[in-house]
Amino acid sequence: MAQQGNVGELLSMLDSPVLGVLEDITAAFKDNLICDRGPMLVNNLVDYYLETNSQQALHILSTLQEPHDKHLLDKINEYMGKAATRLPTLSLLGHVIRRQPSWKHKLSQAPLLLSLLKCLKTDTDVVVLTTGVLVLITMLPMIPQSGKQYLHDFFGIFGRLSAWCLQNPGHVAEIYLVHLHASVYALFHRLYGMYPCNFVSFLRSHYSMKENLETFEEVVKPMMEHVRIHPELVTGSKDHELDPRRWKRLETHDVVIECAKISLDPAEASYEDGYYSVSRKLCTSSKHHQTDPSASYYIDTQSSYGTSTPYSTPRLTLSQMPGQLPQILSPQSIRLSTEPQQVTIWSPSAVCGMTTPPTSPGIVPSESSQSSSQPYSKAFGTSAGGKGTPLGTPATSPPPCTSDDFVHISLPSAAATPPKKFLGGLSFEDSAEKDREEDAISKEISEITTDAEHMVPRGGFDSPFYRTNESLSGSQKKTHSVVSTVQGHSQTSEPLTSSLDKPGPESARETPKQTFTPIDKPCGGSGESPAGNREGTSGETSILTPSPCKVPAQRRVVFGSGQPPQYEHLFEVALPKTAYLFVGKKTEELLKKAKGTQDDDCMSSTSPVEVLDRLIQQGADAHTKELNKLSLPSKSADWTHFGGSPPSDEIHTLRNQLLLLHNQLLYERFKRQQHALRNRRLLRKVIKATALEEHNAAMKDQLKLQEKEIQALKLSLQKEQARYHQFQEEHENIVAQLHSQIRQLQHDREEFYNQSQELQTKLEDCRNMIADLRLELKKANNKVCHTELLLSQVSQKLSNSESVQQQMEFLNRQLLVLGEVNELYLEQLQHKHTDTTKEVEMLNAAFRKELEKAKLCVQQQSQRLDASQKRIAELESQLAKKDHLFLEQKKYLEDVKIQARGQLQAVESRYKAQKRITQAFELEILDLFGRLEKSSLLKKLEDDKTEAAEAAEERLDCGNEDAVAGYSEETIGRNGETKPPSTRGSSSSKGGSSSELSTPEKPQNQRFSSRWETSMLLEPSTTLPLTVGSLPSSKSFLGMKARELFRNKSESQCDEEGVTINRLSDALKTELCKDPSMETKAPPSPDNLSLSPKIQESSVGQLHIMDYNETHHDHS
Amino acid sequence: MADDSQRNFRSVYYEKVGFRGVEEKKSLEILLKDDRLDIEKLCTFSQRFPLPSMYRILVWKVLLGIIPPHHESHALVMKYRKEQYWDIHHALHVIRFINDSTPQVDVFLRIHQLESGKLPRSLAFPLEPEDEVFLAIAKAMEEMVEDPIECYWLVSCFVNQLNSKHKDSLQQLPKILEQYLNIEDNRLLMHLKACAAMSKLPYDLWFKKCFAGCLPESSLQRVWDKVISGSCKILVFVAVEILLTFKMKIIALNTAEKITQFLENIPQDNTDAIVSKAVDLWRTHCGTPAHSV
Repeated sequence: MAQQGNVGELLSMLDSPVLGVLEDITAAFKDNLICDRGPMLVNNLVDYYLETNSQQALHILSTLQEPHDKHLLDKINEYMGKAATRLPTLSLLGHVIRRQPSWKHKLSQAPLLLSLLKCLKTDTDVVVLTTGVLVLITMLPMIPQSGKQYLHDFFGIFGRLSAWCLQNPGHVAEIYLVHLHASVYALFHRLYGMYPCNFVSFLRSHYSMKENLETFEEVVKPMMEHVRIHPELVTGSKDHELDPRRWKRLETHDVVIECAKISLDPAEASYEDGYYSVSRKLCTSSKHHQTDPSASYYIDTQSSYGTSTPYSTPRLTLSQMPGQLPQILSPQSIRLSTEPQQVTIWSPSAVCGMTTPPTSPGIVPSESSQSSSQPYSKAFGTSAGGKGTPLGTPATSPPPCTSDDFVHISLPSAAATPPKKFLGGLSFEDSAEKDREEDAISKEISEITTDAEHMVPRGGFDSPFYRTNESLSGSQKKTHSVVSTVQGHSQTSEPLTSSLDKPGPESARETPKQTFTPIDKPCGGSGESPAGNREGTSGETSILTPSPCKVPAQRRVVFGSGQPPQYEHLFEVALPKTAYLFVGKKTEELLKKAKGTQDDDCMSSTSPVEVLDRLIQQGADAHTKELNKLSLPSKSADWTHFGGSPPSDEIHTLRNQLLLLHNQLLYERFKRQQHALRNRRLLRKVIKATALEEHNAAMKDQLKLQEKEIQALKLSLQKEQARYHQFQEEHENIVAQLHSQIRQLQHDREEFYNQSQELQTKLEDCRNMIADLRLELKKANNKVCHTELLLSQVSQKLSNSESVQQQMEFLNRQLLVLGEVNELYLEQLQHKHTDTTKEVEMLNAAFRKELEKAKLCVQQQSQRLDASQKRIAELESQLAKKDHLFLEQKKYLEDVKIQARGQLQAVESRYKAQKRITQAFELEILDLFGRLEKSSLLKKLEDDKTEAAEAAEERLDCGNEDAVAGYSEETIGRNGETKPPSTRGSSSSKGGSSSELSTPEKPQNQRFSSRWETSMLLEPSTTLPLTVGSLPSSKSFLGMKARELFRNKSESQCDEEGVTINRLSDALKTELCKDPSMETKAPPSPDNLSLSPKIQESSVGQLHIMDYNETHHDHS
Repeated sequence: MADDSQRNFRSVYYEKVGFRGVEEKKSLEILLKDDRLDIEKLCTFSQRFPLPSMYRILVWKVLLGIIPPHHESHALVMKYRKEQYWDIHHALHVIRFINDSTPQVDVFLRIHQLESGKLPRSLAFPLEPEDEVFLAIAKAMEEMVEDPIECYWLVSCFVNQLNSKHKDSLQQLPKILEQYLNIEDNRLLMHLKACAAMSKLPYDLWFKKCFAGCLPESSLQRVWDKVISGSCKILVFVAVEILLTFKMKIIALNTAEKITQFLENIPQDNTDAIVSKAVDLWRTHCGTPAHSV
């Protein structure tokens, strides 16, 4: 609750006059709103606003953020239900909506909309209805698709209100009806623009009824004259236009412009996309009205009136404007300045403040509205007072009636004049135009002033230069058609004109229409901004009497340079030159078009908006008239002076009227904002397009440059090619020359070659010849040598023959001598040869025989030789064979040797094994002996020596018996061995003590036994010694071998007594049994041994046998 | 020339393609057909190829000198051998060193001892290490040879050969083992050295007993083929191959005792492979076996 109290305090401080406090409070409220989500604060604020109509509260409420919207809407809805608070609530709603809050889409769902519709359907208060309709119209573009469910409600409201306009069931003042009519007209536009199909079908169904026919004829039909056929009627359908997709890509301002496009009403229409409407020019007529108030204000302040000083006023205003600018620029200063000036009702700053906002929809509008609203109310008061002339209308208050009259009066003139004026300006002069020429001049001059004023507000958001431009252009326009001096004057009168100055006027002159550029929007903007003025100043502008006359002038301004220059500077700054050229070109085109279409102007009928404008105009005129009658400073006293306190009824009416006008103003301002938004978008597009164009141009330039370059390169290429060809030719020439040289040289070479060959052949021939000659020389030499040799031989032979001849001579002599001797001997021989022949014959025969003999002998000898040779060969072959055989034999022998060695090795290993065996045995035996001796020694020590014999006997006895029993086989073997001696013993037949055959065996036995005896004595207890003795078993190899050996030795004897052997063996058994008895007889046995040495021998052999190794050695 | 004609002309290509031992049997038969067997050739053959099992005993007997190279005297020599065996057997029986229930291996041992003159005085005397070796080899040989006399002779001659011919080289085998292990797998050697197991490897089992009791007889035969034919280095390579084959396990073991214990009882699964690899390794390291006798 403390908070509530706190809120109360805050609220109370909200309207504090102290600036700092105000800011603090506002900040505090905002903080609270951020922190607190409850509805309380909002509710309080709404309450407070409704109570006090506080601008701060309104500001706060209209800037509410998301979470609070519901509370606000609920609260408004709540108050909407109450008739008393309906109107302020509606105005609050209007304020809020115009701010376009972020939550605006929620409006369609809010119950508030329903209650608003309901209110519009049922309420009977014209003011409320008008306000409500305006709110609704504002709201519609924000909720295009969600609002469609209430479509029939909208249509119903339209039907009702249009009927209302005609029938006026509440019988309210007609001046209200004008407002209502205007708003219904706006609604018509909006509905037709947004939902054409649905709306037309509604119209069709609604006005087909007879009772509505009149309404249609009177109200709706005129409205329809101001719209063109909507394209959607052709292409769209009822469903299609309700399609959310259609609305999705459109923003609020898009919707507004869409609606404006189909309008033919100059006050409403928009011509963005090349619609050239006939009624276009008409819009200017209304706009000039809007600008009027501001103009009149200046005139007012200067207290200069009429056309008397047409040239001075503009200059004055212009000179004043810069001074006012600073105030315009800062809203805060505006407000400060307005307050002191409230006394004089009109302050320039207030006007400026109102007109400045369009660019920024932020704080400025609300502030300006706030600042302006207060003066307005007062102004209204004065105007009402000033116009307190009842004209006898049936309306509740006379002033509206008068204004209405004014409207009616002014309308025809306004309708009639503009085209004429314009045509006159364009030198298409009508006769009527000429009649009025003088009038026109004066009007235009006055318009120059108004133009100037009209530009001022716009200048607020632009720059001071523009104002001058505009005014200039405006003046130029007029002078163009009327007085050239005016133009010159106005031109020279502006020292402020800069470089921008020139193009502005030029373009303005050429362009009566600026529809294609963003300038169009300022058109709307300017249309809106003056609306505020209009409302505020309607009561005062009556000073400017020839209001209809201004229309054409104003129109021209709007057409021509009025708006364009405003943005021209922007192009200059923002756009490249091309853009500017582009704009210029466009404007020219449009101007021409406009010229063509201007003739039709007069045909258009007045729209409700115009009517309203007129009304305001009239009101303003009236007011100023009244004011003029009064002394300016004492306005407060006017009332009493004029007619005492005004009737409350009238005041009420006036207030309402004011309210309505305010509403209208706000609505128009809203529209202006939308236009401004759109403007910006279009401007951006233009900038882009121009940038692209520039880019294009740059590219083209580049292209050209490159083409040039290419051409240059081509040229150089051709040059280079030519040079190349030249070089090539030269080169070819050189090559050809060189080739020919080479050929010549080759030819020379060949010739030389041939020559050399010829020479060589010659050389060879010469050589051959030389060789031949040499050969011949050699031959000749040979011959020479030969002949020399022959010569020497011949000389020798010669000498020889000479000597031979000498000898021959000598021998011949001898021969002669010997012949003589021979003859002598022959004579002697003949005497003696008869005796020797027989002997010679005998000798010859003997010799022949001898020869034959020798021949035979030789034959024999050769035969023998042959034979012996053959024999030798045979023997040799035999020898070889033998040798081979020997070798084979040797090999074989080797083989055999190896074989034998292998076998021998086996045998040797066997032998070694045997040796090992015997060693083992011996070891064993020795071991056993060792044991025996040990034990016998022990026994001897034990036993008495006396008993020794007996004991030995007994022991031997049983020992022998054991031996006989256990080892008979062994004993047989031994008997075999021992046999020979025994037989020998028997053969000797010594007569021993025993008669039996066994006796000769005795000594052996004895000896044997004696040996055994000792062993027995040594170890009598063991029987093992017998086993030792029994060794080489007959079965074993040794035994056989031993037997064999013995047999060989004593073969002769054994053969004889082979039979007895068996017998003996048997006998031996018995003998052995007797051995112990013979023991005592052992000593005599040596005698026996000595007796028979053979036995000894045999015994030795036996011993040898016993010594296995030894015997073996011997025999091997 | 006759021998060559009997040989398969493809035999040359068999070896080229990688089949070994296809034609060995035939060539061995040809070798054995010679009267007066050429012992050197047999040696070479045995080194180069694995012996067919049907001729193995015969070849061994010839190589060990149990039977002479002449076929004629085989029967006679064998008879002598037999008699010698029985003589000693009998003698041992008589001096009660053996009886009927004595296991064959012990009988062999006693016979051998007697033959070499080392028969102890009493049965109670403890066995010498060389007797242990003999017993191990005899046990292995007993599995291979059916006839006890042949078996005895083979064992006896084998042991004699080891003791006489290879005595010096057997002592160097551990060093050679280390050397080849260093070549083949240095890391393993490092590990063994780190464990100090190098000196504790079962050298007795490997080199003195010639793996008798370590490898199954089927694998052992192939090793002994080489040993009998005169190369005792094969033992080293078998040992190396065993170490390489069980490398992972050996590396996993840390103490010398464990390694030795493991090596004394290696698994008998793939000993054939081990032996084959060892033979290959031996060939690679010692060149052609004919020259590495």
